[in-house]
Amino acid sequence: MSKPLPSASGHFRRSYADEFRLIETRFAKAMTLVFAVFLIGFPFVASPFYVDLATQVFLASIGALALMLLTGIAGQISLGHAGLLAAGAFTAGILYKETAAPFWITIPASAVTGAVLGIVFGLPSLRLRGLYLAVSTLALHFVVVYLGGEYETRRGYSTGILVDPPVVFGFEIYSPRIWYFVLAAAAGIALLVSINLMRSRSGRAWRAIHSNETVAEALGIDMARYKLLAFVISSAMTSVAGALFAYYRGFVSIEAFSLYLTIQYVAMIIIGGMGNLLGALLGAVFVTLFPYLIEGLMSALPGADRLAGSVFAVNYAAFGFVMILFLVFEPQGLVGIWRRVRNYFLLWPFKHKALGGSS
Amino acid sequence: MAELDVSGLVLRFGGLQVLDGVSFSVAPGELFALIGPNGAGKTSVLNCISGIYRPSAGSIRFDGRDLIGLKPHSIARAGLARTFQHGEMFRDMSVVDNLLAGRHARFKTNPFAEALFLPTVRRAELAHREAVERIIEFVELERYRHAPVGGLPFGIQKLAGFARALALEPKFLLLDEPSAGLNRDEREDLARFLLRVKHDLGLPMIWIEHDMQMVSDLADRLHVLDYGRTIASGGPEDVLNDPAVVSAYLGTVE
Repeated sequence: MSKPLPSASGHFRRSYADEFRLIETRFAKAMTLVFAVFLIGFPFVASPFYVDLATQVFLASIGALALMLLTGIAGQISLGHAGLLAAGAFTAGILYKETAAPFWITIPASAVTGAVLGIVFGLPSLRLRGLYLAVSTLALHFVVVYLGGEYETRRGYSTGILVDPPVVFGFEIYSPRIWYFVLAAAAGIALLVSINLMRSRSGRAWRAIHSNETVAEALGIDMARYKLLAFVISSAMTSVAGALFAYYRGFVSIEAFSLYLTIQYVAMIIIGGMGNLLGALLGAVFVTLFPYLIEGLMSALPGADRLAGSVFAVNYAAFGFVMILFLVFEPQGLVGIWRRVRNYFLLWPFKHKALGGSS
Repeated sequence: MAELDVSGLVLRFGGLQVLDGVSFSVAPGELFALIGPNGAGKTSVLNCISGIYRPSAGSIRFDGRDLIGLKPHSIARAGLARTFQHGEMFRDMSVVDNLLAGRHARFKTNPFAEALFLPTVRRAELAHREAVERIIEFVELERYRHAPVGGLPFGIQKLAGFARALALEPKFLLLDEPSAGLNRDEREDLARFLLRVKHDLGLPMIWIEHDMQMVSDLADRLHVLDYGRTIASGGPEDVLNDPAVVSAYLGTVE
């Protein structure tokens, strides 16, 4: 993806390679370093509660990036996200319970399960669009959840499958701090893979298909192939996120994968900002932290004890309300807000960009 | 030997007869203008050639190969690039990205290598970026390179669409009213580019056009459609003075 020239004085691109460089300016380099130091230092200073929150954000980021590639970039609406997370979690859980398979087998296995399901989820996309596609993926969500539930009852794990901490190179991944780093690395890999796809021909093919299928076909882009590819890659990523979730929680139960989970992921990409990878990350942070924020606010209110019973209801309502606010007032999501704030500082003391300049 | 050979093309949508036995062939390097009043079926001919419509009867051969039944992307891959009447650009993508997307079929990278951005992918991206830059230079779009196409003036968008078709490195160009919506300056630029494509690249073109001045100045041969039928064919002088063509455009005196 060719990026616009960053607004930095004295910065020039000297080669085509500069156009797809990940970090361009010295300022961006410094900021990245500061952020990396913050991420590494965070679990050593924060309380276990906040470390757990951050770990949840990393997990959500992987799923949100996967859904962003599929829906925000390639334009294929899917409501099967919770089903795919469940498929990954159950693949890992079942393989572990039945064959005691180690971590390095269960994780690739759940990626394969996800990829295969991706083809199944994706096939309707060759014929259906928009709402109809959404409904067909929703049907598959229920099939996956049903199969998971059947396994639980048949094998007598009706309360869920217990998964022991994974052992890697004879080292047990157990402490929250280790999990924080493992999932941070996983989210980092997911982000890098997404960026790489976006700056090469698959990403362009997806954006082209999103923009106009007929035109993309007429220009030589094999629509069926790239739609299925989007489903396969997105589903494999999601499924791995599901498996990591199973290990992190140490427990897999089908109740965790309700339709509400799908809605949360869809909310992440809408609130974050459609069609933008940074949006997926911002959305993951927002949606993961939001319920805790509401809970915190409510406990700070006078008469908090009497409100305790309605925390869940208020949470749902506030969540829906925030989503509507974003759709109406900021369709570009948190990314749009981020851009405005950034431009304010970049242009200061001026208010508007120069007309006709390269944006 | 004809480069593209269309014969007996029939296209029906239910009871609506859009094309009724259209036949023509385009010679190598020829600038072939397809003209006719609104609704004559010009764009339908183009859509049949590029595989978007499937004709009810007739044959379309390109380079000795039958195109009927091929998917649009295979037809593009065979070397037939096209533009669209209304631009139809990928609006959120920059000019460079639009052109790189138009060049999609010339890439040989696979998604696994792309996910890791292996050196092969990096090299391919750089080589194609350079090729795209040459086309940007050719159509003089340098100042719009990184601008999202959706925000550009319509004339520039049309020109970018022309560039996107060239980016495929085609053997044959299908141009659907490239001058529609362009102002006089832009039309003159377009005429210049058409001649350069013809003389420098030697590309044969089917060119749908309403501007008769441009057509008579530039086209080698004209083919006139009216209500899906061929009413005249030949050199600009003869065709534009043909009574059937005049009456199709202007009507007849009762």
